[in-house]
Amino acid sequence: MAPSVDRTALRAVVRRELRTLTRTRVHLLLAGGFVLAVVGLVWVSGSTGFVPTVLSLLTPLEVLLPLLTAAFVSRAVLGDRERGELALVRTYPARVRTYVAGVYLGRVTALLGAVLVPLLVVLVMVALGSVESTFLVQHSGLDSPVLFVRFVVLTALFTAVLTAIFTALSAVVRVVRRGVAVAVAVVVLLVVGLDLLIIAGLATDLLPESALPVVLTLTPNGAYRSLVLETVVAPVVTSPVSAGAPLPAVLALLAWGIGSLVVATLAITGID
Amino acid sequence: MTDTTQPGAAAADGKKRMTNGATARSDGHRSPPDAGEPVLTLEGVERGFGDLTVVDGVSTRLRAGQVAALVGPNGSGKTTLLRVIAGLLPADAGEVSVAAEGPRAVGYLPQAPRFRSRLTVTETLSFYADLVEGGVSVDEALERVGLAELRDRRIEALSGGMVRLVGLAQALLGDPALLVLDEPTSSLDPAMTEYIYDVIADLAADEGTAVLLSTHDLDVSRVADRVLLLNRGRLVVDDTPEAVCAARDAETLTDAFLAEVGRGRTVQPGSGTVQDEEAGDDTAAANGGDA
Repeated sequence: MAPSVDRTALRAVVRRELRTLTRTRVHLLLAGGFVLAVVGLVWVSGSTGFVPTVLSLLTPLEVLLPLLTAAFVSRAVLGDRERGELALVRTYPARVRTYVAGVYLGRVTALLGAVLVPLLVVLVMVALGSVESTFLVQHSGLDSPVLFVRFVVLTALFTAVLTAIFTALSAVVRVVRRGVAVAVAVVVLLVVGLDLLIIAGLATDLLPESALPVVLTLTPNGAYRSLVLETVVAPVVTSPVSAGAPLPAVLALLAWGIGSLVVATLAITGID
Repeated sequence: MTDTTQPGAAAADGKKRMTNGATARSDGHRSPPDAGEPVLTLEGVERGFGDLTVVDGVSTRLRAGQVAALVGPNGSGKTTLLRVIAGLLPADAGEVSVAAEGPRAVGYLPQAPRFRSRLTVTETLSFYADLVEGGVSVDEALERVGLAELRDRRIEALSGGMVRLVGLAQALLGDPALLVLDEPTSSLDPAMTEYIYDVIADLAADEGTAVLLSTHDLDVSRVADRVLLLNRGRLVVDDTPEAVCAARDAETLTDAFLAEVGRGRTVQPGSGTVQDEEAGDDTAAANGGDA
């Protein structure tokens, strides 16, 4: 198929995903709930300054983002399969990878809207609020909205990777009820399971302690955490931060994202 | 699959090969093939699931403007055969060839199609239309099935019969030379069934579209000029309705059907097998046949 035709098909898939999401009440409610949760967390924590706010949000986002992404994405391909629309799509000349890319782009666009809006609201809140020197920011001059923007960019990258993971999950699972169970399991695995596995590996000497800085960056949550600590927090604190090297973390996130989309494409191509 | 056609390769006659072996032209419009030229050719098509052979050496041809009804007991392999023809399943052996000119060779309607409920009819069909090379008219398909007035209605506000028409309109997008319809009238009331048969008959007569539809409705002879009877994966009858009845001294297709496949077939609960009481044997054809 000519590339121009693939672009038309890609736009069609993206448009369909966005229409579906914006017309589904539960997604709108979840997006609204996420805004309230993020803004409320910042309000309740009483954090002042950009970097302290990042630290207040980091762990909650590591939990909330997989949950929100699971709700937005885990039925994307699965729903099409359940209705028989996936079979219909495969009778058309459009490529499977175009369909997967369209589903991914549509879902990630909607998710980024839901995720970035509250973070930008928080940015404005902090900018307008009193920015006093805190125990973390030794020199208030170092605390900068640029660091918060960096955090927002990394959060967007993390969201994009999570979207790819749940797109793959949606393509691999074939039964809706099982899809819900697997989505919950993947959320648990992402939030605590993989870190626990690393700890278990250390405890049983399967992993050498020297490998810890790299191994910690190999999971999606670990890579996100590592990048935030290294590039947003470390520049403004006097005590050294050892959260893992940024390069392996970036590579790990890219591998999770691209690998997941490849898995999704192969899962659809190989169905009977 | 032993289909000798090469996907994407240019053919010597200047036409390009579709992935399922069809020929297509890039001008965006189909000229109905010569009435004598087969649109669909099946040569010894076989398909199984594991050790179970579901479609067993099916060979037939379907020409432009012909409507063929694929009938047979539950589990006889009808859906599997249609999915092989639509390109959704590869054949284990044999050749499936669709000769067509246009952006889309085969239009497919699955059993009981469903669509995203919050999209309108037009949005749903536009999505599929954009998957066809060159872009195709949604309005024409809507007019064909009589849904033009409901174009802005959401899918969730349509009856089951109307959704079936949306599915049929989807199958018509791109003006395919061959329509493969899997039980297009199942669970529909007689009026809607008659309406869908009329649409199919008009397509065959006006556009020269070849139509292969599976059905349990043996009144289908009012639209079909060929009857293909599949039994345990084998094509055991391939003739006109009149000839099928005459050969079995039957007054109706139902009588001819029962004469061919036997009376008193029962499905054994939980076994996934069909037992033929007259023949006294078991077959696992139901297990995956119409999957």
